[in-house]
Amino acid sequence: MSRRFNTWRGMWLCIAIALTSLSTAAAQLPSVGMPGRVTELVLPGSEVEVRARDAKDPLVLRITRVAPHGSAFRYDFEYVALEAGKYDLRDALRRRDGTPIVTDPGDPNALPSIPVEVTSVLAPGIVKPHVPEPQALPRFGAYRTWLVAAGVVWLAGLALVLFGLRKKHAAMAAARWKPRTLAERLRPLVESALAGTLEREQRAQLELGLVAFWRRKLAMEHESPVRTMSLLRDHAQAGPLLKSLEAWLHMPTPPADVDLKALLEPYRDMPADAIPEFDTAALSAPHSSGGR
Amino acid sequence: MTQTAPVLTNADLKTTEKFIQAVRERVATVVVGQDVVVERLLISLFTGGHLLLQGVPGLAKTLLISVLSKSIDLDFARIQFTIDLLPSDILGSEVLDQRINEFRVRKGPIFTNLLLADEINRAAPKVQGALLEAMQERKVTIGNETFRLPAPFLVIATQNPVEQSGTFELPEAQLDRFMLVHRLDYPSPSEEREILVRNSALGVQRQDGGAVVQTEFDVLSKEPVGSTDQLIAAMEAVHRVHVSETFIEHVVDLVNRSRKHPAVELGCSPRAGIALLKASRARALMHGRHYTVPEDLFSLAEDVMLHRMRLKYEAIAEGVNGRAIVAELLRSLGGAAGEPAKNGASA
Repeated sequence: MSRRFNTWRGMWLCIAIALTSLSTAAAQLPSVGMPGRVTELVLPGSEVEVRARDAKDPLVLRITRVAPHGSAFRYDFEYVALEAGKYDLRDALRRRDGTPIVTDPGDPNALPSIPVEVTSVLAPGIVKPHVPEPQALPRFGAYRTWLVAAGVVWLAGLALVLFGLRKKHAAMAAARWKPRTLAERLRPLVESALAGTLEREQRAQLELGLVAFWRRKLAMEHESPVRTMSLLRDHAQAGPLLKSLEAWLHMPTPPADVDLKALLEPYRDMPADAIPEFDTAALSAPHSSGGR
Repeated sequence: MTQTAPVLTNADLKTTEKFIQAVRERVATVVVGQDVVVERLLISLFTGGHLLLQGVPGLAKTLLISVLSKSIDLDFARIQFTIDLLPSDILGSEVLDQRINEFRVRKGPIFTNLLLADEINRAAPKVQGALLEAMQERKVTIGNETFRLPAPFLVIATQNPVEQSGTFELPEAQLDRFMLVHRLDYPSPSEEREILVRNSALGVQRQDGGAVVQTEFDVLSKEPVGSTDQLIAAMEAVHRVHVSETFIEHVVDLVNRSRKHPAVELGCSPRAGIALLKASRARALMHGRHYTVPEDLFSLAEDVMLHRMRLKYEAIAEGVNGRAIVAELLRSLGGAAGEPAKNGASA
């Protein structure tokens, strides 16, 4: 009694499971592009395989498992449809041994129809997805390009900062350096004049600035400018540098031999700011790197 | 400066120096002192620029020019400017030749190498204008015919700065035609002594059965010490004197400062700069240099610039004079532009 009860209980359980699985299967029909499966299907006759597929064929079928089942075979199929609709998987099969597929129901080896259905997730009436909206092209280059560009910019910035700091430092150093004597102040100017790297305006100012300085220093303010020049040229202290400058600045081929130290000797004990004529834009800048 | 002419060689320099020295020595035999005037005369002659001498009578202006013309074998003419002088008295005119019944051109005294226009401010402006036009163009039109003036052609005009009644002052535009205006000073006491000694040595000259007291003109030697070729060589040498960029900068600076001076109403024109450069080259040559130096500029600035500047009425009323301003401009060179000299001269 108890044994019979157990058999009936098992049968009801199997039916319930089968019904549940059927309802679930019906409810979960595969959609376009999603794989659907048919498993444990026993097909009579010799073994079947998937026919070669045409590129335009909307159904892709794959046999995932084959196992002998008496004189027949048991198959697991997996299929993917590219269009919604009803398909017969039998249309995509052929006998492996090359015998034709028989569909006559009276034949024991006849291959039964294997209907499947593929649904669409699109709304009714829409058969194709929307045409994508035109969008702007992505920015030039990709991440790597941007990374390289950022690296270059960073290096350039670094170089600028280093160069700028160096220049500033040099300018500050130059600004800090102040000649203590008139000789120190005159030396770079005279050297530039000798090298021919002093600007025309600077040369003119250097020459006549010195004349003005000596005129004041020797109290020649009331002499005529011509007589002043003549007296200064013959003066023991003023004469040598003035005459040398005159030669360097005015002769077509200036003399080459110069004793700059001796020429600047009279200016060694004079303060650097003794010639206010030099405190102009033309001569106040450093001249060690002056250009013509 | 870009030199187009070849650089002056030492040999050229010595030849020219010799010629100049000979002329100077010849002038010195008759004229005492006046070295600066002789220098200015030679500068004018070598550069072809005309000269105006301002000074009181009796400073040997005519004698100086006479002796200079005889020294270099140049034609010389003198015109005494008066109120009734006509342009044709200077330039020449067409006269009717009654023998052939045709007009014939009679050239005026302007057709000479050295022309002394004595007391130029005494003539009417149209006469002054005729002369100054001829000076500028170096040609004269008489009737329908145009004649070139001889080369070299140099006008040395004189002006008496003291006596102003009955004179016509030359306007600035006409003064500008004179490259140099030199203001003559009295000779120094030692020079004046020498003049008197030399004059007292002059005797009496027998002439046409009579006798006249000798003047300096009578003792002028007729033999020239220099030829026209030597003069032309000296003129060419002037153009080969080197002018540095720095010197040009000095000239430009000086001319510019004359335009910015607070007491000056009308500053120097670019012609002043050109004249400064030309005259400086000639002066450099006369001092045995083949390059110009600031001293040339300083020496010539007054003669070149002063007559080209017009002072403001207020400055004149305050007693400021042009010479002081030129000296102040020269002293201010070397300082910042527009700055007056630290101890500038005033009136």
